[in-house]
Amino acid sequence: MIPLAHYLIFSGLLFSIGLAGVLVRKNIIVVFMCLEMMLTAANVSLVAFSRAQGTAGIPVYDAQVLSLFVSGIAAAEVAIGLALIVAMFRSRKSVESTELTSLKD
Amino acid sequence: MFESALCQIIFYVFAALALLCAVGVVAFRNPVTSAMNMALCFGLVSAILFGLGAQFLGIIQIIIYAGAILVLFVFVIMMLDIKAEEHSPASWLPAVGGTVVAAVFAGMVMSVSMNLPGAKDGSCPAKTLWDNIGELSLAPQPQQAEAPAKVTRFGGALPALSPAAAAKALNPDIAPEQAANATTYPDVKLVGHTLFTQYNIPFVILGFALLSGSVGAMALARKYRKD
Repeated sequence: MIPLAHYLIFSGLLFSIGLAGVLVRKNIIVVFMCLEMMLTAANVSLVAFSRAQGTAGIPVYDAQVLSLFVSGIAAAEVAIGLALIVAMFRSRKSVESTELTSLKD
Repeated sequence: MFESALCQIIFYVFAALALLCAVGVVAFRNPVTSAMNMALCFGLVSAILFGLGAQFLGIIQIIIYAGAILVLFVFVIMMLDIKAEEHSPASWLPAVGGTVVAAVFAGMVMSVSMNLPGAKDGSCPAKTLWDNIGELSLAPQPQQAEAPAKVTRFGGALPALSPAAAAKALNPDIAPEQAANATTYPDVKLVGHTLFTQYNIPFVILGFALLSGSVGAMALARKYRKD
């Protein structure tokens, strides 16, 4: 049986790949995809902890319900975020984050 | 079934493939390629959730992420007609900086997970597999007697799921011999039981969040007319 630490390492690596994507990429849609990947990594570690901390052969279902809420809120967040990207594209004709310099100049 | 050696190999294969697809999301310049890599990555992550015994969340992962969210991404990419990022000469510094920050974070998480109290108790299954690669058994191993529950335990194997205990939790009046006859683990029933008893009000609030999200998305993305 795989120990908890390996699930946590997997989820930490997935999270840091997502973090690298958020920091490195300039296309806002890809940045958004990487954010979703980070949420998924958090879900994996929640489910792994729910299984590991379970008593008498039943996992802690509060963690799985929390993970379900994370998925639901992620869906709402994607709808709003993509609408913001569409609005940004309408006003600036670009989805590059380097174009967002109106506070700088 | 989840205890067999095959399932352990499957976890490592799926985890490696999921990380590879995640790297693909970051590395490919074309956003459509990134989106397809993300679909694969979410499918593999849902396989890992299945392996953890969370069938409901695995299905939800496929339906919500790979089904709904990804289609929305691809639709927006198509609608805005986004081309692949071209290479700009002065972009290596933020790339290297971001990679270093993420690598430091990954190292921190790995060191914390490997030094959790008791995390070094059990032998590493990958190493055990490597040592016993000759007499690999694909048959399910006999289930061990349930270990005494310790709250602070982070190491060793994950505790096995018990269908009998789940049947007892769903229906406290069930006869013990009837509970002992239970063979399948009712994961979806238990998630639903927790969701609609303990977390009913947050669930309704989640519904309102989704409603306001969809209304807000329409308000943000619509075209304003001049008149």
